Amino acid sequence: MIPATLRITLISAVICYFIVILYFLKQKALNLKYTLLWLVAGVVMGILVAVPELLMLLIHIFGIQDNMNGLFIFAIGFMIMILLSLTSIASRQNRKIRTLTQELAILDKRVRELEQETETGK
Amino acid sequence: MRVLIIIPAYNEAENIVQVVKHMMEEAPQYDYLVINDGSTDSTLDLCRRENFHYLDLPINMGIGGAVQAGYVYARKCDYDIAVQMDGDGQHDIAYLDRLLAPILSGEADVVIGSRFLEKEGFQSSVSRRMGINILSALIWLTTGKRIMDVTSGYRAVNKMFIKIYSEDYPMDYPEPEAIVAAIMHLGRVKEVPVQMRAREGGTSSITFKKSVYYMIKVTLAILICRMGYGIRRAKREGTEKNA
Repeated sequence: MIPATLRITLISAVICYFIVILYFLKQKALNLKYTLLWLVAGVVMGILVAVPELLMLLIHIFGIQDNMNGLFIFAIGFMIMILLSLTSIASRQNRKIRTLTQELAILDKRVRELEQETETGK
Repeated sequence: MRVLIIIPAYNEAENIVQVVKHMMEEAPQYDYLVINDGSTDSTLDLCRRENFHYLDLPINMGIGGAVQAGYVYARKCDYDIAVQMDGDGQHDIAYLDRLLAPILSGEADVVIGSRFLEKEGFQSSVSRRMGINILSALIWLTTGKRIMDVTSGYRAVNKMFIKIYSEDYPMDYPEPEAIVAAIMHLGRVKEVPVQMRAREGGTSSITFKKSVYYMIKVTLAILICRMGYGIRRAKREGTEKNA
């Protein structure tokens, strides 16, 4: 069983976590699309801390030795998922930047050609 | 047949003017396009001063992104054939006709200039040849097609592959991967013998330190690229399923 003081600490930590995320969202410093996974992770962590019986059940199912280990494993699991999604976002943006750069270079050539045409036309 | 010669150039100030001028003398009937890949030296200034045809990529994207920009341009301007040729003077314009011939006769979609078919000219170092042989064997194992000079950047492709490559071209060290993509698109890939020269100036983009990373990255890229197409290969464009 998780000690009561630790549960209070964890619950307040989850609350702080939500306040910070919602604050960033309100400031538009975070894009909701990319924040959904963070919010889901927070909700799950909140439920696991608030309902320890559920945590015990999951820990039993997965064969994890210690309650605290269980919490850590869930937290680490979410972090890996979030990191993977970040890498995927970076890769997708990389692709978009590439297309933009190529289009920009082609437009730049077109502008130079048009400039030359208008100069010779004068 | 309209032919575009794509010349990617990253920090090639020492070679680029000579390469392009030589090309304009030897093959004036073909269009060319220098792709300045965000060079930090005077490559761009030289292109501007000499009034070359060039694309100026505002940021460095690596050879894959630069070459792809050429294919995108070739597709927009409706070229029939695109030729890739390095901006460092390694590739001799004299062999251009050999590269074009199989495409003009319709017997190949992608033609690769290979320095190992007749084993003449600059043959690269022993360690590099070993690396190339390993990659060549890997492509043979995964696709069943034997290509000797898998890292050669001297290539010609027809209209079908201008479209395919403009939509999707591998990044970082793209040459071997592009061959796999071509084979998996049911492209007819053919090698023709060419001679290459050692670089005239500047330094190669692949140093000894990077070669281990190169082999690991390219091996993985080939396997992943091959996996991406599964057992059924991509349908050849313009052909019916039952053909």
